[in-house]
Amino acid sequence: MAAENSPATEPAGQEFVISRTFDAPRELVWKAFTDPERMKHWWGPKGFTVRLARMDLRPGGTFHYCLRSPAGHDMWGKFVYREIAAPERLVFVNSFSDEKGSVTRHPMHLAWPLEILSTVTFAEHEGRTTLTIRSVPINATNEERKTFEDGRESMRQGWTGTLDQLAGYLAKA
Amino acid sequence: MPPALDATFAALADPTRRAILARLARGEASVTALAAPFRMSLPAVSKHLRVLERAGLLARSREGRVHRLRLEAAPLRAAEEWIASYRRFWEQSFDRLDEYLRGLQGKEKNHGRGK
Repeated sequence: MAAENSPATEPAGQEFVISRTFDAPRELVWKAFTDPERMKHWWGPKGFTVRLARMDLRPGGTFHYCLRSPAGHDMWGKFVYREIAAPERLVFVNSFSDEKGSVTRHPMHLAWPLEILSTVTFAEHEGRTTLTIRSVPINATNEERKTFEDGRESMRQGWTGTLDQLAGYLAKA
Repeated sequence: MPPALDATFAALADPTRRAILARLARGEASVTALAAPFRMSLPAVSKHLRVLERAGLLARSREGRVHRLRLEAAPLRAAEEWIASYRRFWEQSFDRLDEYLRGLQGKEKNHGRGK
């Protein structure tokens, strides 16, 4: 599936999977994901707006975007496409970015995975489409791998929120 | 599979160990200083410290004969924050995608949907 198989680019560990079913035909969901003008309508967390979106949809091409937070802070990101198999699969490497389109590390989270290999599949059943995103770090340092796997395991065990509580508790102590 | 995470949460399940971590969150301390608030023997406190150390929550350094201990919660917070942030990004984008697709098709909004 992946074009390169050298050890440096091997995905690290098991994947993190997110899935959602939409009441829409696959063609429409595919278009929403592969047309930058359409992506502006939904890409990003609640309250964010896509300030800029450039898309070059081909293997090796990029989707370069800027998200503006409700507080007015800009966050750049990008996809580097690896595989485009309309209308059923999209594979890209996503990361934080900057105005120039470089791959950047989040300034406040140095151990976060830098590059995430994301495989998006679009499966239609009786007019509804299930979108599944499989994510795994790629080109990862040991520290990035650990962050990802610990986070995955933490979520799997249902500990989400517990560490926020611990951090809050320790901060007030 | 990171078995260390199981050890970490088991370590946090004890109130004495949580109190020790809270004290260390305010700064480094010696074993004696950490033991002071508790009405328990030094060996008993040391046992708690070893559990915390094995769980990766505590780091020990030595200045002469004094062992100084400090909190190492940062790696764990990093992991939790990453997964929560990443998941939240996609889940909220999916919420917006759902609304967008409904709008395109002239369908009603999906009230009371689950995740």
